[in-house]
Amino acid sequence: MYPLFALWRKEWLALMRDKHGLAALFVMPAVFILIMSLALQDSFSPSARLELGYVIVDLDQSSTSAALVKRLRAQATLQDHGARSGESQATDEIRQGQHAFALLIPAGFGRSLQADKQAETTAHKLRLLADPTIPKGVELSFRNQILAALGTQRANEVLLRLQKTPLGGNVKEIRIEDWQRQLETVAIKADTAHADAALPSAVQQSVPAWLIFSMFFVVVPMSAIFITERQHGTLQRLRTQHVSYALILAGKLLPFFIVNQIQALLMILVGRYLVPQFGGDALVLPSGAAQIAGLWCMAAAASLAAVSWALCIASLVRTSEQATVIGGVGNILMGAIGGIMVPKFIMPAQMQSLTQISPMAWALDGFHEIMLRSGSVADVMPYIGSLLLFAAVTLFLAILTSALAVRYRS
Amino acid sequence: MSPDTPAASTLVAVDQVSYQYRRSVSPSLDGISLQIRRGQIYGLLGPNGAGKTTLISLLAGLLPMQQGSIQFAGQPLLAARRATPSAVALVPQENAVYPMLTVLENLQFFAGVQNIRGTLRAQRIAEAVHFCRLEQVTRKPAAQLSGGLRRRLNLAIGLLGDPELLLLDEPTVGVDPQSRHFLLDSIATLRDAGKTVVYTSHYMDEVQTLCDALAIIDQGRVLVQGSLAELAASERTQLEFRLQAPLPAPLRDALQQRIGLQETGTAQYSGLLPLAELPRFLVELQGHGCELRNLAYGQQNLEQIFMRLTRRSLRD
Repeated sequence: MYPLFALWRKEWLALMRDKHGLAALFVMPAVFILIMSLALQDSFSPSARLELGYVIVDLDQSSTSAALVKRLRAQATLQDHGARSGESQATDEIRQGQHAFALLIPAGFGRSLQADKQAETTAHKLRLLADPTIPKGVELSFRNQILAALGTQRANEVLLRLQKTPLGGNVKEIRIEDWQRQLETVAIKADTAHADAALPSAVQQSVPAWLIFSMFFVVVPMSAIFITERQHGTLQRLRTQHVSYALILAGKLLPFFIVNQIQALLMILVGRYLVPQFGGDALVLPSGAAQIAGLWCMAAAASLAAVSWALCIASLVRTSEQATVIGGVGNILMGAIGGIMVPKFIMPAQMQSLTQISPMAWALDGFHEIMLRSGSVADVMPYIGSLLLFAAVTLFLAILTSALAVRYRS
Repeated sequence: MSPDTPAASTLVAVDQVSYQYRRSVSPSLDGISLQIRRGQIYGLLGPNGAGKTTLISLLAGLLPMQQGSIQFAGQPLLAARRATPSAVALVPQENAVYPMLTVLENLQFFAGVQNIRGTLRAQRIAEAVHFCRLEQVTRKPAAQLSGGLRRRLNLAIGLLGDPELLLLDEPTVGVDPQSRHFLLDSIATLRDAGKTVVYTSHYMDEVQTLCDALAIIDQGRVLVQGSLAELAASERTQLEFRLQAPLPAPLRDALQQRIGLQETGTAQYSGLLPLAELPRFLVELQGHGCELRNLAYGQQNLEQIFMRLTRRSLRD
């Protein structure tokens, strides 16, 4: 155990004195989070026709509800995923990520629209069930499309009543604010404490995304240290002192794991406190102990995957140029494919499927599950499992690479 | 050579060791046998690609044995190294230190990975620092050290495990004369401390002044081994001469056969000639009308022996 402590200490000292590596690990993601959170704040292109879809749950089954659905389908920019028979089915499918929204038309909606009393109208209001990972802009856009359809529907109802009522009849004034009160948005999976929490903002996309990206960037300082060790002959010297390659790798794991955890803490602080200082939204975090535990488990799993990937690359490369190309460009590709640089939800369906080949996407989905849907440790276990498997495979490859290199040299 | 007392007993016995790298067409070591005695400084000489590094790597445990055997203190090297991991230490040709760590941190780290801890660690570090005269720079990052100081740190790290056998791979490459002399003096004192040292170098004068015994290897084979005195005695005496004009062809051909005559310049020659034959040689020259301008005659130095044995052709 003592040699391992010596390796940890050496690695920590070496890392702390690598100013460029530290800048890449801490300053780069903080700046990215700040810039991207502010830049993407209002620009998730809600008016564009997106691959996001919605379903209708028509519990009213009246001519009025049918007319509303018809109007909505005619003007909605999101994909129509059809109708569902019940709320629970729609909720489950949103949880599984199949749809962004479900519009719930309650029983009695048609009658309430014809009622004069405001109380009766609002008692049967529409409910919009929403995936909380969908950006606020998209949600507002869809909400406005529903309200527009609803407004037209109400105007039609008024005209019909005017036609049926003798001149001078008592028709009450109908105001736009009334329509808006007739649509309630419900974020699926929010716990009771967060039932009224805001839907995700740009900062909630940016913080986990750039945190994961920066975690994987440990490949840069780790490769630099490895290359220095190889060039200076210290790795060879360690071998003559009976220090196994597995022990050398273990000596690098813990310091970089700790660095990753510090990164996680700092990036969360940047999202929560720094971004609002520049006019952006503050990062909203879950408050429950289970969610905090889940958040840490995700950070730990993402870190193990990132450090193992870095060890694998560092074992493979022989020069700084190779480290930049294989490690740096590899990270950028994983980030681009994995929804780090371009949010997954604005990608076409085929590209969204492709994101699942990137471990960064697994980590991002896991963080979203916790941070946005208040998921528990159990909810993120599939993501944690995938990341740990990735870590095991890359770690094995790192050891195998070293063994093959020794064999090749001899 | 020193008498075969227990103190001078064999520490390393290399017996018929051959080694061939996977992608190499010829073996790097081809049936090498050496005897290195306890407390000796043993010089390993050879041109580039002769097999020195391969032999050092085998002794350091960096390469697996393929053929032959290496005994260390009477037991197989692998078993001996397993029993006492610090028994053999390599001081590589590169300065195998961490440039971003200070001198002290480097020493602490390399002591730590060898599981040297507590007061023993402090004691070993203090001894190594003192031996290599690094007291003034212990807090300095290795990156900021001069070439000579870095070499001394490289050596100090090798001494931390208190090894019985120290493998020094060209330890004076790239250092100023002061540091070089300091290193040579320090290495000489290791012998007094009972250490056995295997020393490789391209500097013949270093080996000549420092080593008790040596081997010249080339193309994976031992060309000659023994003490310097033994090597010199086994060789015929070197003759170098310069004439007014080149030798006539018949005499040149005859001398090539008889004394291994080599042309080293315009009307300039060298060969190996026993002292008893020197008068006859001079008469012969006179008889052929050759006017002698310069003549040097004496025992060969190590460089001459080396060059004769390994030929003059350039190596990679």
